[in-house]
Amino acid sequence: MWVVVSVVAIVVLVATYLTWTAARVDRLHARAAAAYSALDAQSIRRAAVAAELGERQGFLEAQTAAKAVLDAVPEDRESAENDLTRALRVAAGKFDVEAMAGIEEASRRLALARQVHTDLVRDALAVRRQPLVRLFRFTRRHPQPRFFDIDEPTLDDNQDPRHR
Amino acid sequence: MRIGIVCPYSFQVPGGVQRHVHDLAETLIAMGHTVSVLAPADDDVPLPPYVVPAGRSVPVRYNGSVARLSFGPVSATRVRRWLTAGEFDVVHVHEPLTPSLAMLAVVSAKDEPVVATFHTAMTRSRAMHAASGVLQLVLERITARIAVSDPARRVQVEHLGGGAWQVPNGVSVSRFADAQPLLGWPGEGGTIGFLGRFTEPRKGFPVLLDAFTRLAVARPSVRLLVGGPGDPAGVLESVPAHVASRITFLGTVSEEDKARMLRSVDIYVAPNTGGESFGMILTEAMAAGTPVVASDLDAFRRVLDGGRAGALVPVGDAAALAEVLAQLLDDPGRRADLVAHAGEVVAGYDWPDVARRVLEVYHFAIEATPRPATATPGSPPP
Repeated sequence: MWVVVSVVAIVVLVATYLTWTAARVDRLHARAAAAYSALDAQSIRRAAVAAELGERQGFLEAQTAAKAVLDAVPEDRESAENDLTRALRVAAGKFDVEAMAGIEEASRRLALARQVHTDLVRDALAVRRQPLVRLFRFTRRHPQPRFFDIDEPTLDDNQDPRHR
Repeated sequence: MRIGIVCPYSFQVPGGVQRHVHDLAETLIAMGHTVSVLAPADDDVPLPPYVVPAGRSVPVRYNGSVARLSFGPVSATRVRRWLTAGEFDVVHVHEPLTPSLAMLAVVSAKDEPVVATFHTAMTRSRAMHAASGVLQLVLERITARIAVSDPARRVQVEHLGGGAWQVPNGVSVSRFADAQPLLGWPGEGGTIGFLGRFTEPRKGFPVLLDAFTRLAVARPSVRLLVGGPGDPAGVLESVPAHVASRITFLGTVSEEDKARMLRSVDIYVAPNTGGESFGMILTEAMAAGTPVVASDLDAFRRVLDGGRAGALVPVGDAAALAEVLAQLLDDPGRRADLVAHAGEVVAGYDWPDVARRVLEVYHFAIEATPRPATATPGSPPP
């Protein structure tokens, strides 16, 4: 009798743990995916503000770089983003604080978005490496999340308020 | 926005995290947001209207000091009830890696995005390493992590394998700038100030005592004003009587008296020997318009803009401290320069500014949180 009871108990425990792990894998991937959408939105916002600045100030480099971000295929997105950051840093040296205010904010928000996205991708990747997760192929419905590998997108390379 | 904030430590005892939560909540409310703060507190103590008590707190020794925490089934129930009743757009927890209400809130939150602020620069501990699997379960429910200082951020990077977005501690600049000096202070002859637990070694009070003794020999009217809990008799043993008579101990000071005390001294000294993550007291002294002399610790150097917004002295060097104090007491122009630059620096730490940056994180956390209906994209419909 006690053999049956303990076998049932073990099966229930294992099943519970597996279900919980599967749900955890789904949750972490959903979080990474949602963070990517939000990061993408932030990147598009910055490009839009940059294009507008380029037009207003007649600064063609910003306009071109912004358009490149908006048109980039996924593989080129990161380098287009870095080009835009460089163009905007040049702009920061040319135009006054007032003209750059929107850019500064959009860049800071992109930096924040990247930070959050990086953390959530790291969490998802960590759970993908677990032996049990691999054995039961819990990740089969989820493509492997990728880091958004760009240079620090803030204008002064430092988010500290003292350097604003 | 509907914001739920969880404070791990009781409001009945003063502390940096409690102060931070209090000021953040009041700034957000003044900006028109709806804020509820959950904190450990007995049911019968008077609390600000936006604070929800989560029951008794127990004193626990943690990370070198005593924290009052709530943890257990009763607290867990209260946390869940508070979350359900609050219908928050975002839940903001503080120090979620201490076994506290904050940790309970993180694991109890369902669809709400969770933002977490890390205050402490903990050194790597065995306990933390051993518990890393459990901590990961807590961390992975947090959407956005905020660190108040670079040392606090480095804890994330080095020990927990994550990152954090830096938003500094805020300070209510006007509250300090407009405070009235205590009656009869600073007086003629120069007054040096110190605030904190002077019996705690890492606060560095003995270094200041040594420096003050050197200073007092040459300057018969220089005085030292000390605020903070502790028994003065213990620390004064090594000090000559004629020096000891020029030291005034105020005992524990209220928030209001703290501001007044900072306005009552010619120079504020932070002789800490370590363990500081941010240097809140420095921003407060800067807000009060008092020149600052501080130990050359990472955190202090950052807040003091590399020494331009306050003088830095080698850690634990009483002779150097005495010399810098003497120079500053004799040079009102240099003091004014430090104060002027400190004013510019501290403006970046003013609460409305800092709260706007915290709101930016809230907005992004909300944006980056999966909607319940589309929680698992790509999964077959149930």
